[in-house]
Amino acid sequence: MITASSQKLGLSKGRFRRAALSFARNCAFLLILCVFFSISSRYFLTFSNIENILTSSSVLALLALGSVFVIASGGIDLSVAAVMALSGVVTAAVYRDNPELSSWLALLICASVGTLCGVVSGILLALTRAPSFIISLGMLSVTRALAYIVANGAPIYDLPQNVTEWGQGTVLGVPGPVAIMLLALIGSYLILHHTRLGTHILVLGDNSFAAEAMGIRIHNLRTKIFAISGALSGVAGFVFMTRTNAGDPTAGQNYELMAITAVILGGANLFGGKATIIGTVMGVLCLGVLQNGLNLLAVSSYYQVLFVGVVLISAAMLERFEDMA
Amino acid sequence: MSVLEISDIHKSFGALDVIKGVSLVFKPGTVTALVGDNGAGKTSLLKLIAGIYPLDRGDIFLEERDLSMAEAGSRRSLGIEMVYQDLALARNQDVITNLYLGRERVSLGGFLRRGEMRERGQQLLKDMGINLPALNRPVGAFSGGQQQAIAIARAVMFNPKVLLLDEPTAALAAREVESTLALINKQRDAGRVVILVSHRLNDVMAVSDRIVVLKHGQVLTDDPTGNVSLSQVVERIVS
Repeated sequence: MITASSQKLGLSKGRFRRAALSFARNCAFLLILCVFFSISSRYFLTFSNIENILTSSSVLALLALGSVFVIASGGIDLSVAAVMALSGVVTAAVYRDNPELSSWLALLICASVGTLCGVVSGILLALTRAPSFIISLGMLSVTRALAYIVANGAPIYDLPQNVTEWGQGTVLGVPGPVAIMLLALIGSYLILHHTRLGTHILVLGDNSFAAEAMGIRIHNLRTKIFAISGALSGVAGFVFMTRTNAGDPTAGQNYELMAITAVILGGANLFGGKATIIGTVMGVLCLGVLQNGLNLLAVSSYYQVLFVGVVLISAAMLERFEDMA
Repeated sequence: MSVLEISDIHKSFGALDVIKGVSLVFKPGTVTALVGDNGAGKTSLLKLIAGIYPLDRGDIFLEERDLSMAEAGSRRSLGIEMVYQDLALARNQDVITNLYLGRERVSLGGFLRRGEMRERGQQLLKDMGINLPALNRPVGAFSGGQQQAIAIARAVMFNPKVLLLDEPTAALAAREVESTLALINKQRDAGRVVILVSHRLNDVMAVSDRIVVLKHGQVLTDDPTGNVSLSQVVERIVS
């Protein structure tokens, strides 16, 4: 039974067991949170609030989906949120001057800016052989600064309505951001678990020498991985921009750490070789529910950050115990 | 007729000359053992042949085709495979993923053809007499001997002409050594050039047809195994 399920999911039995354990842990955590917040607030378990949780989690989900590829390969991308801000600002600047452009082009510009940033990171990694932590930290500064420069230090408001409809309207009854997130989720799942590229990404994180010795061009591969991460950050920028009706250079500050937290909560190994898309989405939902519930209970944002930290440390400890068991 | 020929190859790492003008010819269906003290250049020579290290000087020919400038991936696709001392396996991934690493069967869009890969992988392991309890377990969960067998199976899966083995029996228990030596014999019988680096001279004497002693990056002696005794080989290594 387990074997059949693991084959369908594209996971080996051992990985499937660990992924299933991680999934079960997240489900249990999510359930506990839902029960607690349902009892504590009568607004929590309402259709509009659930829709709100999903919509507000969509940006983080897109950033986490980008990050999971990098983390699965044994790297880290600290620039995802800054790239998201830059993508939104550049696109908003384009539409400020050309409001008649098609709204599809906005999505394309955001994704392209993000992809370009990812490719630059990948090329710098290949040229310098520096750790991804250092390069992405540098890219964080560069892209955040560029966002401020392009926006002249202030958010660019008043996007055309056909653009903001993506973030504020619905597609077949599903909020636009949620629909985009679902499409990205399906695409990411297929890439990581069912394609040669996904296999190479996991192998790179597992044993980079093995990947290189077997003829995988690891520098090209890293560039592709950062391009995927950048593209998804760009799409996150599109969602953020269309939801808030602004290209905001301050958008998503500290989201990079939230994205990494979600990936780790989802059972990924920070050193690579082990990660799942479903786990990552569960991690995002856990964080989304936690933040939403705490907001409903009017808990101070300082305490919210504290809770996120506690959850991450608890998840790391549980993971450690599971590995030892 | 030779399959592999290396001619006057040189390699330095900084000021250290690790290989100094080695020339050797390898015939099909033979097992050649490279022996020598630590630092003699055995593993470096294998990695130069596999393309892991680029040559400083010299030539490598595979069936008269010059591979001197080819990188590891190209040499692999042309028929030079290596089993590394640390096996170069992705330990969190399953057996089939490791067997096909770098050569996955895919359909349009790069989607893995898992069924086809599994079927062929199973057949190969069966043909090689390798019994593994489950192919969908991560390879890190298998014993050292089983991992060694997976690494050898991966190396021979696409019918290489040359098989390079770096310390294939170093970390194995006695029973696992026997099965690994049997696998090496099968490769010779299949007509492959097998080049073996090992410190375990009993294994070398048992399985090789030819013993090349390396010293300070140069060939000291090169004899058929039947012409030398174990003690003579030891003498040459420590001389």
